[in-house]
Amino acid sequence: MIEVNLTATAVFANAIDLVKTFQAPVAETDELGNDRIIPLELRRWLARLRLLEGVPFAYLAADSELLPPESIRFFYVDRRYTDALVEGALSVGTANTSDRAEMEQLYPQIRDEIDEEERYVRMPGGELPPDRVSETVTGMLLRSRAVSGWPGLHVRAYGAGFQAADDAIVPDDDPHRLYMLRLERLAPAVLLALFDGIPAAVHIEEPRHGIQFGVRFDSLGDPSTLQPWIPARDGTTGLDVQPLDRVSVPCRPGSPGVLDMRRMDERLRNDLKTKMGTEVDAGENALQLLRFPYRQVFGNPPGQGVPDPDPFRPTPTLRIADLEVAFQRGVQ
Amino acid sequence: MTPPKGYFVLHPFAVPALPSGAYTLHAEHDLGDTTLTTAPLDSHIVVTAPRFTMPPDQILSTFPPANAEGGFRDRLPQIVLKRRTLPWDRSAPAPDDHTPPVPWLALVVIAEGEGSLSGEVPVAQCTTGGVVLDPPYDVPTSVYLEVPQTTVDGVFPTLDDLTVLSHVREVDLADTELAMGDDDGFLAVVLANRLPQPGVDADTKLIPRKYLACLINLEGQYDVLPKPLPEVDLVDHFDALAVVEDLRVDTSALVTNPDAFTMGAATFQVPKGIAAGGAGAARALDATAATGTGQPASAAAKSWAPSPRDIESVAVSAAPDEVGRLVRDQMSAGFRIPAAVLAVLRTYRFPVLAHWSFTVTTDGTFETYMRGLDVGLLGSVAASAAPAGPNALPAPPSSRPPAEFTETGHVGLPHQTRRGDHVRAWYRGPLVPSPTTREQRDGDGRLPFAHTSDQLRTTTPDGREDVSRAGGFEIGRLLALSQPSVVAAMARWRRDSFGAEAARRLAQQAASADMFANTLQTGQSHDLGRLLGRDLLLAAAANTDVVLAPNRPPTDPGRPLDLPGGDLGQVVADGLGFSIDQVRKLANNLGVAGALRQTAVPVSVQVPADPAAPELRAALDVAIDRLAADVLRSTPGPTPGLQPGLAAPGDGGDSGPDVLDELLREDR
Repeated sequence: MIEVNLTATAVFANAIDLVKTFQAPVAETDELGNDRIIPLELRRWLARLRLLEGVPFAYLAADSELLPPESIRFFYVDRRYTDALVEGALSVGTANTSDRAEMEQLYPQIRDEIDEEERYVRMPGGELPPDRVSETVTGMLLRSRAVSGWPGLHVRAYGAGFQAADDAIVPDDDPHRLYMLRLERLAPAVLLALFDGIPAAVHIEEPRHGIQFGVRFDSLGDPSTLQPWIPARDGTTGLDVQPLDRVSVPCRPGSPGVLDMRRMDERLRNDLKTKMGTEVDAGENALQLLRFPYRQVFGNPPGQGVPDPDPFRPTPTLRIADLEVAFQRGVQ
Repeated sequence: MTPPKGYFVLHPFAVPALPSGAYTLHAEHDLGDTTLTTAPLDSHIVVTAPRFTMPPDQILSTFPPANAEGGFRDRLPQIVLKRRTLPWDRSAPAPDDHTPPVPWLALVVIAEGEGSLSGEVPVAQCTTGGVVLDPPYDVPTSVYLEVPQTTVDGVFPTLDDLTVLSHVREVDLADTELAMGDDDGFLAVVLANRLPQPGVDADTKLIPRKYLACLINLEGQYDVLPKPLPEVDLVDHFDALAVVEDLRVDTSALVTNPDAFTMGAATFQVPKGIAAGGAGAARALDATAATGTGQPASAAAKSWAPSPRDIESVAVSAAPDEVGRLVRDQMSAGFRIPAAVLAVLRTYRFPVLAHWSFTVTTDGTFETYMRGLDVGLLGSVAASAAPAGPNALPAPPSSRPPAEFTETGHVGLPHQTRRGDHVRAWYRGPLVPSPTTREQRDGDGRLPFAHTSDQLRTTTPDGREDVSRAGGFEIGRLLALSQPSVVAAMARWRRDSFGAEAARRLAQQAASADMFANTLQTGQSHDLGRLLGRDLLLAAAANTDVVLAPNRPPTDPGRPLDLPGGDLGQVVADGLGFSIDQVRKLANNLGVAGALRQTAVPVSVQVPADPAAPELRAALDVAIDRLAADVLRSTPGPTPGLQPGLAAPGDGGDSGPDVLDELLREDR
């Protein structure tokens, strides 16, 4: 037997010391040249977990009354909660005290890496996230038949200082646009969106699948009696006549929904603001019937003096836009 | 010049340089000298174009999509064709010389019961009797749409409408969203003139309605199209509940009462719109009054509408080589009118080049949904939970107590503790109505880190537990555990990266520390592990209370028994029927165990069977039962008024307090 000065206390003290000064080795270097201690696949997974991927819906909205049918709810994301998710995931496989102590030692660095990574989870169409770590994450839950009936809604959020009119065509690289961390349908009729920042305005638009033609309805008291109308458009520019000029569409009596195109065109032609000359051809007819994606705007209307304590006050503005149509007289 | 991306140009029409048909190219060469002649050359050219069937590659898209269901009531159905000249390819002579040119294609949208779609038949049968289209035909067989005069008058476009319903759209080929895979950037679009409306049932409630969109060939039948109505007859609104025509008859009525049917007094359904509209061809027939069958018309309608389940069952059960045809049949079931019905009406047939069906549901439009939304922050409760809109269902009666919400977004939920107590706890998910602050690093740059969910349970000022983050912790843990790949990645990471790192550093430190110096220098390091283990074990054993855990006593002391007599030995002896004094006396010599072994306990003696014994025993049993019942009834039990045999469930069927009850009561 060899004589050594080895006592349990000394061993424990050394072990604790080792753990306290523990530095994780670099697991890899990511695409941007930063050293990372978490391997890529695990980092991705933890970042997606941080964005609530896979979290059962009952844990997001604990009571159905929080999200009744036909409602939209805005929220902040509680980062403490999402950190708890990650802590739970990291607790898997920590077998003994030293594992736990090491994990605790590394956790600040792990959290920073996931903060970095969560910005890269979505990246729609190769769009790069802003060059900073998200601080406040907000979002919205939309539960509506509009979600199930119109898959592929366009959702855009704009931060403080966004001043564009509700029907303005906002370019995708608008500086106020908030980066979207997640946009996903959780159920056929439930849409979840997470924004990086606090939105001042949120736009939800109909999906732009193809070009559609149609009318708008007014209901005449009795919900089953519908009065179709279209906004008159300037035949030379393709833009709506300002102010809104409603032209009611004549219907064939006894045939619900059957429109009399020729008479409608006559009415439009007689409306001098449409500048359509003496004859309305098929192209002009189509121009008048074009329906643009409907945009619903949530937010404070610009120019309102008193700041509203609730940043998501709805304004039921009714606007179309975003697709611009250039109209040109027929060739031949 | 093609339009820029995101833009498109609308053209009213595109006439082909050479309309479809057979041509002869006649060439002669005049050399200026009559003696030199060349033979004329006749080349035959046939310009083909679809006529009875649209090749699938010519259809770029349809709206609504085929077999779609949705609230399409404010949109005109349309079909987009690849070749820009298609709607004007055939120089079918219009009744009068029309400029702009009249397309030969029309997209008509008919509802269930307004017409009949045939199966594949020779093309000669695809037109109304008497209308003959000259060859060449592009296909030998095709399908046709057979509609009565009412439908034509009610639904078909007028000749004037036709000219504005087809147009050409020019797009940038690079714009994939608009070009849809076209080859030259010019698309022909044929619109319908009808906004499809949902149907109506017998109670005038809106129900989904199936529509069939048919791209039909109008060649030779332009004169059938309805004439434009004078301006005064037109209206600015329509009744969405009206029905143009419904030929789906109650076939049982047809069988039981063929005369009434043939005489025209039959079972056409709900023609209320015709009666109201006053169009020329209105045939208002009262469904129930005329038949006398008393069967509600909607029953027939129900049986006609094929459900997805029906279609599925056909698809599953049909023979493999017949599936295609049978499923198609089933899907267009609402558009098959019995020949007997069509036979008594004046009907028209139009060749159908392409057709698809879709269902218009009672859903509102996107706009109505978005404007009807209840807006708020998560955690706020809607003023009225009922959705807005005319078709909203009444809110179901609440079958549970109102939910508990706080301004902070917490929800009160029932909570069963580990002890089994039923309490209520607060829970708040990750989506909260107000900003929260995240944990920040302390002076050493460390963050609080939980290893188990219990570390995240907190108690709120009202004394209830807040399990929000504990719940989140468990969800994260379970999500990680649910994916073996994540567990494996975690283990690999721990082992490869910081497990290895920890081992490396331990070795390094051990090598530099004095305590291992001798061991390592003498090269006898193989004993180190054993030595460490022994020392650790001894250190742990020396002070187990601290290192391991306090010892638990082998047994827990029992509760003192409160006996009436006070002497346990006396009670046992009385119960078993022997003398305690005798045993105690013996115990002085033999010990208690020996004394007990020597003591006889009286046991009931087996009595030889007496012939009268059974009767006697039965009588005794009855007497005992009666006595017992009397005693029980007179005893004030926990459930007075109940019969002994009918004690409340969970009561054990025993109404009197016993020793156990007393013990329990004492425990409380």
